[in-house]
Formats: sequence, C-alpha cells, structure tokens
Amino acid sequence: MKHLIILIKSAWQSAPAFRLALSFLLFLGLVAIILPWLPLPFQPNELDLDAVYTRPFDWTRFQEDKSFHWLGTDGLGRDLLSNLAYGTRSAFAISLPVMLLASLLGLLLGAASGFYGDRRASISRGRKLMLVPALFFFLFYALYVPLQLTSLQVASTDYWLAALLALAVPALLVVGIGALLKRIPYLKAKSSLPLDGLVLRLIEIETSIPRLVLILALAALFPPTLMALSILLVLTFWTGPARLARAEMLRIRTLPFFEAATSLGVPESRLMVKHALPHLLPPVAVAFSFGLAGLLMLESTLSFLNIGVSSELVSWGRIIAGIRANTSAWWLVVIPGATLSATVLALQTCSYYLLRASQHRVS
Amino acid sequence: MATSLLKRLLLATLVLWSIATAVFLISKVMPGTYGSEQLNQADPGYYSRGDATVLDRAYREFLRSTNQDLPLFYFSVASGATPDTLHRVFPMRDRLFLERLALRYGDPRQATLFFRNLKGFETAIAEQQRTILQPYLYAIYQHTQPVQLQHALQALDTLPLAPTSDTQKQRMLADGYTLLNTSIKHRYLQPAFQWHGLSNQYHLWFSGMAKGNWGISLRDGRPVAQVLYEAIGNTWWLLLASMVFASLLAMELALLMIRRAGRKWRQITLPFLFLLDSIPVFVLAILLLVLLASPAFLQLFPVYGMGYHTASEPNLFARMSQWLQYMALPMISLVLVNLPYLTNQFYHALKAVSEQDYIRTARAKGLSESAVIRRHMLRNALLPVITLLSDFLPALVAGAVIIETIFAIPGVGRLLIDSVLARDYPVIVGIVVVIALFKLLSHLLADLLYHVADPRLRQAAR
Repeated sequence: MKHLIILIKSAWQSAPAFRLALSFLLFLGLVAIILPWLPLPFQPNELDLDAVYTRPFDWTRFQEDKSFHWLGTDGLGRDLLSNLAYGTRSAFAISLPVMLLASLLGLLLGAASGFYGDRRASISRGRKLMLVPALFFFLFYALYVPLQLTSLQVASTDYWLAALLALAVPALLVVGIGALLKRIPYLKAKSSLPLDGLVLRLIEIETSIPRLVLILALAALFPPTLMALSILLVLTFWTGPARLARAEMLRIRTLPFFEAATSLGVPESRLMVKHALPHLLPPVAVAFSFGLAGLLMLESTLSFLNIGVSSELVSWGRIIAGIRANTSAWWLVVIPGATLSATVLALQTCSYYLLRASQHRVS
Repeated sequence: MATSLLKRLLLATLVLWSIATAVFLISKVMPGTYGSEQLNQADPGYYSRGDATVLDRAYREFLRSTNQDLPLFYFSVASGATPDTLHRVFPMRDRLFLERLALRYGDPRQATLFFRNLKGFETAIAEQQRTILQPYLYAIYQHTQPVQLQHALQALDTLPLAPTSDTQKQRMLADGYTLLNTSIKHRYLQPAFQWHGLSNQYHLWFSGMAKGNWGISLRDGRPVAQVLYEAIGNTWWLLLASMVFASLLAMELALLMIRRAGRKWRQITLPFLFLLDSIPVFVLAILLLVLLASPAFLQLFPVYGMGYHTASEPNLFARMSQWLQYMALPMISLVLVNLPYLTNQFYHALKAVSEQDYIRTARAKGLSESAVIRRHMLRNALLPVITLLSDFLPALVAGAVIIETIFAIPGVGRLLIDSVLARDYPVIVGIVVVIALFKLLSHLLADLLYHVADPRLRQAAR
C-alpha cells in the first residue's frame, strides 16, 4: 500500500494533468456522497409536464418564486441537473464495488498463476482426485441449495447450514479422505497442478467474444436486477487485472531479491504478502482505473440500450436515450455525454500517469 | 508448423465448444422463455372459459415441438428432495409450486401425489363453488409455513361440497396430511444424481449444430441460419469498409507522426486522439446523428435504415451510391471510434522499427525521408499489425452492435439486441457462436499470414 501511495504522490508532484484528473474524480465522488444535502430543486424521477424539453439556461422561464431547470429537462420534464448528479452516484455505486471485486479476483488468480506456474503447485494424487468431488459439493451447497432456498423464503439459519456444509464437506474430502488415500503408494506420489494453464484457458475463453456481446447475451438470460448485472460484470472484468498481475509476478519471480528470499526459506504465504504484493499493486491499480473507465462506458451503454438494468435506475445513459425521441434536444446528449467522456478521460489520464510513474521507478 | 497449427485448431475448437455449451446451458437453466409469459399469465378470459385449457395445450405443444419437455443434460444433479419427473410438469407456475412443496417437506413421492390430487380436485370442483373455494386454494398455493397448509386443509375438511368433487377432496386431504406428518426437515441438503441418457436437450441441440441445423428462431419461426445469414450480409460490408478506411487513415496519421518533422503533427494529433478515445461509441454516434442528420442542425445525411425501395431495379452504380449515402454516418462513427487505438498501435510499431540499425544505415546512405519510411520501415512495421488487425475485426463487432441500433441497420448487432429483448435464445446462441467462430478463424488466418509474410519464422520452423 505504501508503494502505491508513493507512486500517486510522485505522479501528483510531477504531472499537472494528473492533478487535474484526480481532482475531477474526487469532486465527482464528493458530489455522489453529499448528494442528499445538496440544494437540488427537483428529484431525478420527478415529472414536470409543464416544462417538457426545456433548453438549458432558458431565462424566459425563470421566475423568482419557482424552482428553475438550470440544465433543462427531457421529454417527460425530468430535471437534467438532478439526473446528472444522481447519475454520478449510481455510476460510481455500481462500478466501484464491481471493479474492486474484479481487481481482487484478478489479483488472486493472476498472482497465483504467475507464482505457481504449471509445475510448482503440487499435491498428492489422492488429493488431486478428491478435488473434483470437492468442487462438486462446494457448487452444490454454495450455489444450488441457496438458489433453491430463495424460492422457499426460509429462515437465515438454513442458509448458514448450507454455507457450513459448503466449506465442511469439501474440506473433509480433500483433507480427510485425501490423507486416507495416501496409504496407497500410487496415490501418495506428488503430481503438479497446472494452475497457470487453467487460468490462461479461462481468460482465453472469456476474451474470445467481445465483452459487450458477452454481457448482452448473458444479460438476456439473467433477471434484470442490479445484483445479477454486478456479478456478471465482476465475472467478465477480472481478466484485465489478472493478466497484468500474472505478468508482473513472472517478472518479480526472477528478480534477485525474490530469489534470495526464496532460498532463505521464507514461507510461501510470507513471500506472497510481504515480497510480491507491494510490487503487484501498481499494475493492478493501473488495470483498476482502466477497467473502471470501461465499466462506466459499459454501464451507460447498457442503460442507454435499456438492457440488463431497470429503466428506473437514474443514469447518464438513460438521459442520453431520451434523444432518440427528439433529435433536436441536443442538450440531452451533449451535457451527460461530456460528463461521461470527461470522467473516462480523467480515469485514463490517471492510469497513464500511474503506469509512467511505476515504469519510471523500475528503470 | 503443421503441428502447431493443428494444436491451435484443436484448442480453438475446444474454446468454441465451451462457449457455445455455456451459453446454451445458462439460457436453459434461467427461467422464462420467449412467449412463456403470454401463455402462462393468460387467465380464463371474459368471453371463453376454455381459454386456459386451450392455452395450456398450445403451450405444451410448443414445448414439445421445441424439445423443451426433455431433460436438459445427460445427467442432472438435484437436491434429493426434488421429484425426478419435475421437468415434465407444465406450466412453469405448477412446476415451481411442486418444487417448493417437495423441498419444504423433503418427500418427493408424497409431494407429487398431493400435487396430482390437488390438480384433480381443482378440475372436479363445480362451477358454483369455485369462488367459495378460491381463497383456500390460494392459501395452499402460496403458503410459506407448514402451519398455514394445515389450517387450509382443516378448513377445507369442514366445508360441505357436492358429492362429485367430495371423493377427490378426501383423497387430496389424506395425501396432504400424510405429507405434513412425514415431512423430513433438511432433506434438500442431500444431493441426488440422475442419468438421463442421450434423449436430452443438449444432445439434440449439439448434434443439430454439428450437422448445420441451428434451430428455429422463437420470434418469427424462421431457421436461425437464414436469419443470421441475412443479418451478416448487412453487417459484413459495413465492417469491412470501416476497417479498411480506419486502417488506411491510421497508417497515414502514424506515418505523418513518425517523420522527423512530425513533431507538430504529434502535438496536434495525440491529444485529439486521446480525447476521442474517451468518448463512448454511442455518444459519438448520437452526436454525429444530431449534428449531421437532424433538421435542427445540418441535414447532410439520411438518418435511419439502409435505403428505400424503388419500382425499377437500379443499376449497380445507383445502388452503390445509395448504400454509401446511408452508410456514411455509421461508417464515420466506426472509423472515428477505432482510430485512436489503431493509430497508437501503428505508431508504436513504426517507432520500434525506426530505432533499428538498418534504418540508420538507410538514412546514412542518403535516402530521402519518404523512401526510408515507405520502403524500409513500413514493410517491417506491418508485421505485428497483421496480428493486431485480426484481433481488431471481432472488436469492431461490439461497436457495430451499438451503431446498428442507433442507425437502425438490420445487421447482426441489431439482431442481437432484438433477440435479447425478446429472449429469443436460439438466435442469441447462434450469434455468439458465429462471433466466436469469426474471431478464431481470423486468428488462424493471422497465424498463416504471419508465416507467409515473415521469412524468419519459416526458417525457425525448419
């Protein structure tokens, strides 16, 4: 973490563009947080049918005693300014947690695949054999049973029971029965676990279709809730951080300090956390801000197409969709479009300077 | 080289198979299909009481003709509490009820018996008593606690009924009480494995796909292959033309920037491209549409569609010019969207080559700047670009999805959106498979081209 803060500091001191971009992002974050206390005259979903398609700063409509649509309204008289502000909130409320989870998943998988490669992770054949039923039972209790339980509306203790079994049964299989199987000489022999190959295949499969097409196809299948969409996004966005983390891990593994630590007999967990993780964070941070920009674009595209998100969700994409009914209402695309582009630009600028700063340090 | 190509081909087939399988299985596991909502929700109408049964029969027929009444996969793993004939129960509402019943009381056989008798009782009820019984039936269907079921059953027990339905009622009540008494808690935690054999949806679908039978679109009843063929025809030329234009433009820009005197160009172009890169596709397309094709500003281009119908068959030139008119804005959007990435890649490829020794030699020989760039640098820089372009063509499809929706072009992207909105799974699966296939083929093609273009690789292979 210290590593990352130093990087941000050095980028902040050296590049004015980075300062500008980060300030803009912080400003947007602030707006999203203090939204309930802002003196916005309208609610985002409030219809004002007397003022349909009002232009921005239309002073002919200004009256002292009435609230004013500063940035105009859309076809149903919804206020553009409050939609913009609340849209900021939902954009970050969706994309930040999704990207955090995706980065964590990518970091874990990428680091593990880079660290262990195809050969280094080895377990006994007996345990390897047990991994398959263990995975099966885990999926059964962690996925299937809870899904069935949701239709029953049962007490939460039943869910806890399922969660307990999801952890206990696989552990029993791998640790308990795996130890028993070690008595057979053939099953006791160690065999390698091709972690790297598995992760790479997974990435290859996921990236063999354009992400938008994948999300669209899957969004049709899942129920259109925010939760389902978020899970879908996490499962498709982890590949970017995973690739970078894997590449960085491969590089670190050959560096002298790491080899020295390995030869000193530092345990694996300490190697990962103390020696590898600080170096892995900057590339993952770059992938994070880059992925965040992609997520923002994707989220607004989906709400523009009205697929996978409910049409009640206030978002920048929904405002822009209003232009399809009336192509002369330019403000419906220019203002939210500019905000969206500026945010994406700021994120890309941040990731560019972070990348440069980290490369600078390495060289 | 042959073995490496074969290995890649095998791997590519594996990837294609896993994607198609995943999309197919997920599409089947998730509840709700095309038309099921209309057919399921139709309650007996005002005009005819037969509506419900007719609709039910039609729905069953629909499911049978689309193989949806078969088990999904070769085997299934379900909770030990679910009845093994669950997939034969229709409509969906009844199936979910039976599933809930079986899960709650942990006895699949008794739950099925109770369910059947309940249905039998429901059909045996006399018309006059239907309204009286409705609240009790509702309580049975919606109960969340065993106590609620018990109350409903006891209330039904005391209710006097016509003799025709009374025997059915007694049977149903007996089964209901048995179900309540024999209920085993947490039976659903025990997994049960079941083998279905070859007669399952996945097997039929996959063997059909392999034979070239891609299924029938649920939306308009036409073969998926034909629907796809028509859509691809419209998208293909748009994609190809935009890709050619974008590549040429990007290359010229990169060549301008790589010159020694290109500093000025770099200062103008790079920020512009950076800015362009951060504008999402749909915002850019709509901006162009608003600015160049709406009566409020400039109306230079026609807005929607692919042209208009004329009585006489126009000649090739007239058709081309009409196509160009309608495709100009979509093409401009696609080119602009992809320009930053392409230019950046071309520029970096050229830059890497320009630091090589032979370029210095060429300059030292006194060759002119353009000769050095066009004859020495470009050919070598184009090598990595081959891979890039093969990667890029499928990525264009994603942009085309949005552009086609905005400009109302009946291509693959628009087809995808329409099928997604209509939950037309056969078409969605078909599109995903086609796009994945397209990407894999272009990768293989790039590999081949690479070997043809770079003599060093051929040497290494020997």
